[in-house]
Amino acid sequence: MSYVEFSSDAFLVAFFLYCFAFMFYVIAFAGKKWSNRDPIAHQRRWGRIAFIVSSTGLASHLAFFFTRWIGSGQIPTSNMYEFMTFLAMSIMIAYTIVYAIYRKPLLGVFALPLTIIIVAYAAVFPQEVQPLIPALDSIWLKVHVTTAALGEAFFAVGFAAGLMYLLRVIDYNDKTKNGRRAQFWLEFTLYSIIVIVGFIIAVFAFRGAGYEAEFTQEKVIIDSRGVQTETTSNVHYTLPPIFKPYNSEIVSVQPFLGVDKPLFEAPSWMNGINAGRKLNTVVWSIIAGTLIYGLLRLAFRKPLGAVIHPMMEGIDPEDLDEISYRAIAIGFPVFTLGALIFAMIWAEIAWGRFWGWDPKEVWALITWLFYSAYLHFRLSRGWQGLRSSWLAVIGFVIVLFTLIGVNLIIAGLHSYSGV
Amino acid sequence: MLVPENTKCECGHHNSVGTVLCEYCGKPLHQDLQKSDEPLEMRYDGVARRSQKSNPSYIDRVWNFFSSVKIAIYLIVITFLTAMLGTIYPQESSFINNFDPSTYYRETYGTMGHLYYVLGLSHTYESWWFIGLLVMIGTSLVICSLDRVLPLYRALNKQQIRKHHQFLLRQKAVYKGTLNQDAAEWVSQYGDALKKKGYRIHREESGTALLAEKNRFSRWGPYINHIGLILFLLAIVARAIPGWQMDAYITIPDGDTVQIKDTNYYVKNEKFNVEFYADDELPEQLQGKARAKKYLTEAVMYKCVSDCGNPLKEPVLEEVKRHDIIVNSPLSHDGIKLFQFDFNLNPRLNAVNPVLEDKTTGEIYGPFYLPMKDAELHYELGPFTLDLYANYMEFALGSDGKPTTLSRDPNAPAFVFTVKGPGLHPDGEPYIYFPMQKDKVRFAQDTINRDLAERIEIRVDGMENVDFSEATTVLNVRVDRAVPYLWVGAVFSMLGLIMGSYWQHRRIWLRVDGAEVVLGAHTNKNWFGMRSDVAFGLKKTGIEVDPKSLDNGGKNA
Repeated sequence: MSYVEFSSDAFLVAFFLYCFAFMFYVIAFAGKKWSNRDPIAHQRRWGRIAFIVSSTGLASHLAFFFTRWIGSGQIPTSNMYEFMTFLAMSIMIAYTIVYAIYRKPLLGVFALPLTIIIVAYAAVFPQEVQPLIPALDSIWLKVHVTTAALGEAFFAVGFAAGLMYLLRVIDYNDKTKNGRRAQFWLEFTLYSIIVIVGFIIAVFAFRGAGYEAEFTQEKVIIDSRGVQTETTSNVHYTLPPIFKPYNSEIVSVQPFLGVDKPLFEAPSWMNGINAGRKLNTVVWSIIAGTLIYGLLRLAFRKPLGAVIHPMMEGIDPEDLDEISYRAIAIGFPVFTLGALIFAMIWAEIAWGRFWGWDPKEVWALITWLFYSAYLHFRLSRGWQGLRSSWLAVIGFVIVLFTLIGVNLIIAGLHSYSGV
Repeated sequence: MLVPENTKCECGHHNSVGTVLCEYCGKPLHQDLQKSDEPLEMRYDGVARRSQKSNPSYIDRVWNFFSSVKIAIYLIVITFLTAMLGTIYPQESSFINNFDPSTYYRETYGTMGHLYYVLGLSHTYESWWFIGLLVMIGTSLVICSLDRVLPLYRALNKQQIRKHHQFLLRQKAVYKGTLNQDAAEWVSQYGDALKKKGYRIHREESGTALLAEKNRFSRWGPYINHIGLILFLLAIVARAIPGWQMDAYITIPDGDTVQIKDTNYYVKNEKFNVEFYADDELPEQLQGKARAKKYLTEAVMYKCVSDCGNPLKEPVLEEVKRHDIIVNSPLSHDGIKLFQFDFNLNPRLNAVNPVLEDKTTGEIYGPFYLPMKDAELHYELGPFTLDLYANYMEFALGSDGKPTTLSRDPNAPAFVFTVKGPGLHPDGEPYIYFPMQKDKVRFAQDTINRDLAERIEIRVDGMENVDFSEATTVLNVRVDRAVPYLWVGAVFSMLGLIMGSYWQHRRIWLRVDGAEVVLGAHTNKNWFGMRSDVAFGLKKTGIEVDPKSLDNGGKNA
C-alpha cells in the first residue's frame, strides 16, 4: 500500500472518529437528565470518552496529513481539498489547545460538527495529488498557508463558542421586537449552516447516483485589435441543471424527476469560469438545505434554536463568552503572522511586491480589520457577551468568505485553488 | 464625560482632571460612581488621559477626536466595508496592457460596471478617500497610543499597596473573609504561595496589605504593536519618494538586450526555457493540458559604463550579474529585482540571409544579411543594387488602402526595396519582400510586385539562413526600497501582539483590617486564569474556595 493510499484510509478513520466523538458529546450533554445517574459524573465520564475519541480522530488526521505529504512529496495544502482538510485539522488542534486551557468538554459539541462539516465539504473536491505550478513551489507557501489556517481555526473555535453563547442566552419566550430579531438571526445562522450541509448532501447524492449533464458554451472575445474570436468550451454538470450556462447548447442531460432539460439560463453577466455551474450549485444547495430545514421544523414543531436552547441549560454563559474571546485573542496574532506577514514575505519573494490588492489579499485584510475591531470593541462597555458573540459569528462568516467565497465568486491570483 | 468638581481624594491625593479612580488609593472620585456598587471600569487604571482637559482648545479638539477608541473602531469598520466594495469587479491596476477603463467596465459588466467606474470604485485603493482613511487610522494609532501610554506608565510605576475598600470590593474578582490566625503571618504565606505562580510581591511595612503583580510588560504589547503599525504605514508613505519604487514590465526575445527604463542597467535574455509536466505526472482530468512545470530565463544584467544615453553611439556595457530567473527566484542587483512574470512561445524573426535570383539568367547573388530591426539602407548584389525604401514590422493595409504597420514587433515584417540592375528601369523599380512565407502568401507578394516578380526574386534558401528567437520572456522589474522598513514595522507589530495576547497583566490587592480580609484582583484578559491564581493562593493558606465563586459579575473584560 502506498503512502497516499494509506493516508486516504487514515482520513476516513478520522472522519468516523469525529462523528463518534460528536455523538458522545451529545450523550454527555443530553444524557445528563437521564434517570438513575449523577448528572455531573455522567457529563465528566462521557465528556472524557468523547475527548479521547476526538483526540484519536485528530491523531488519525495528522497521520493522513503526514503520510500524504511523504507520499506526494509536497505539503498537502495546495488545492481546495487539501486546504479544507488542513483547516479542519487545525480546528481540532485549536480546540485541543482551548480544551487544555479551560477543561470544558462542552465546546466539542459545536467544534466537532464544524470540523465534520468542513471535512465533508473538503471531500466534495477532487482528491488526486496535483503537481504544483511553479508559483506555488516555495517554503513560504507552506508557512503562509499553515499558519493562516491555524489562526483561522482559532477564529472557528471562537465562532463555535460564540454560537453556543447565543443559543444559551437568547430567550425564546421573549416576544419583544429585540428578542424576535435575535431569534430570527440565530435561526438564520442555523439555517445557513444547514444550507452548507445541504450542498454536501446534494453533491454526494447525485455523485453516488452517477448523475451527469454536459453543455457546450460559446464565448465571444473581442481583443484589443478588434479581432473577434469565438471559443467553445464544454461545461460539465454533476447536479441536474436548473440553470444552464449562458449562451450554451445541451450536449447531454440525464433526466431527473422526468425533467431532461434546464429550466433557466444563467444571466449574461455571470461570465466567469464555470459561472453557470456555480449558480446551479448554489441553487441546489439552497433547495436541499431548505428541504432539510423544513423536515427538521416539521419534526420538532418549533425553531431549531428553541430545540437546542434547553439543552444548553446549566452551562455558564460567562465561560462561553470568555472562551470565545480568548480563542479569538489567541488566534489573532497567529492569523496576522500567517495571513498577512508571511503572505507579504512570500508575495515579495515571488512577485516582488508585498501587496497587490488582489481580492484574496483584500479579504484577508478585511478579516484582520474585522477582528481588530472586535478586539477594540471588547474594551468598551456593553460589547461583551451577546454583542461580541454576534461579532464572533459574523467574523467567521467573513473568514469562510475569504477562504471559499473569494475563490468561487471573485477570481484572482489565488483562483488556482478554486472549484 | 463626567467631570468631577473636586479632584482631591479623601486620602489627600491630588489627581489631575479626568481621573476616574484615585491614583493613590483607588477610590472612585465621582459622586455617582461612589454610590453604585457595580464593578469598576479599570481601563488604564482609571487615570486621566492626555485628552481629558477642562478647556479644550482647537488643537485639543482634534486631538480628542483621534484619541477616542470609538472613533478608531469606526475608522476600522468604514475601511473594511469600503475595501469590500473594491473587490466586486477587478481593479484597474490588475490589467497590464491595452486597457481603457472608461469603456472596459461598461462593456464587460454593463450599467453596474459603468457605475462602478464612475464612482471611482475601479481604483478604490488608490482613491483619495481610501488613502485618507488609512492616514486617519495612522493618526488615530499615534494619538490613541500617546494619549494613554504615558499616564498608564505613571500609574503603574507608583502603585499604592493598600487600596480603598470600594476599590477592592468592586473588582471583577473579589474575596472577602475572616482570618483566625495572625494577619501579617497569613499575608506573608499568601505572598509566598503567589511567588510560586511567578508574581512579584509588594508588602506594606505593617505587613497587613499586599500587592501581587505579574506580567506587567504585557500591558505595553498593544503600544508596541501600534508603533509597529505606524512604522509600517510610514514605510508605505515613504514609497512616494522618487526612486524608491518602480514597477515595470519588459519583454525580451531570446538573445536580445534591453535597457531597464530610467536606470543605467541593461538585461539580456540569453535563452528562455520552459518545461511542461508529462502526462503520466498529471492526474486524469489535467492530462493533455500544458501545465508548466518550470520556466526559466537565463538572464544577464549589464551596467552601462560609457556612451550611455548617446543616441549616436552604442553604449558600452559591462556585465554585473548573471542569474537564472525562475518564479520565486528573481535576479537581484542594487535594489532592482527582475521577476519571471510571463512568457510567450511564439517564435520571433530576428534576421534572414536571403539571396537574389535573376530569373532571366538563373544567376544567384548573395546571400546578404537582413535584420528585422535597423537594417542597412543599401545593398550591392553582383550587378544589382537594393535601396531600402520602407519597412514595416507588422504589415497591414489601412482603411485607406495604404500599407501601414500595426506594431513595432516583427510579427509580419515587410521590406520595400528600390531595385536597380540589368534590364530594369534606370531609376529603379519597387520590390516588396515578405521574409515569412505565410505573409508572402497572405499579402500576395507576387501580385504586388507584378512584372518584376517574373524577372527577379528575393528568397531565403534553407532554415540555416533564418535567425529567430524561439521564445520571448516577460520580466517584471521591481524596485521597492521601503521594504526593509516594512519588515521592521511587522516585527514590532508581531512582538507587541504576542506580548499582549499570550501574557496577561494580573494584579491582586489585599488588605487585612483586624481579622477581616478583603481581596480584589484585576487582569486585562483571561479572568479564568486570574480567579484560579487567587484561589490557588487561598488554598495554600488554608482557605478552600471554588474559583468561580470569586466572580463578582460585571462584563468589562
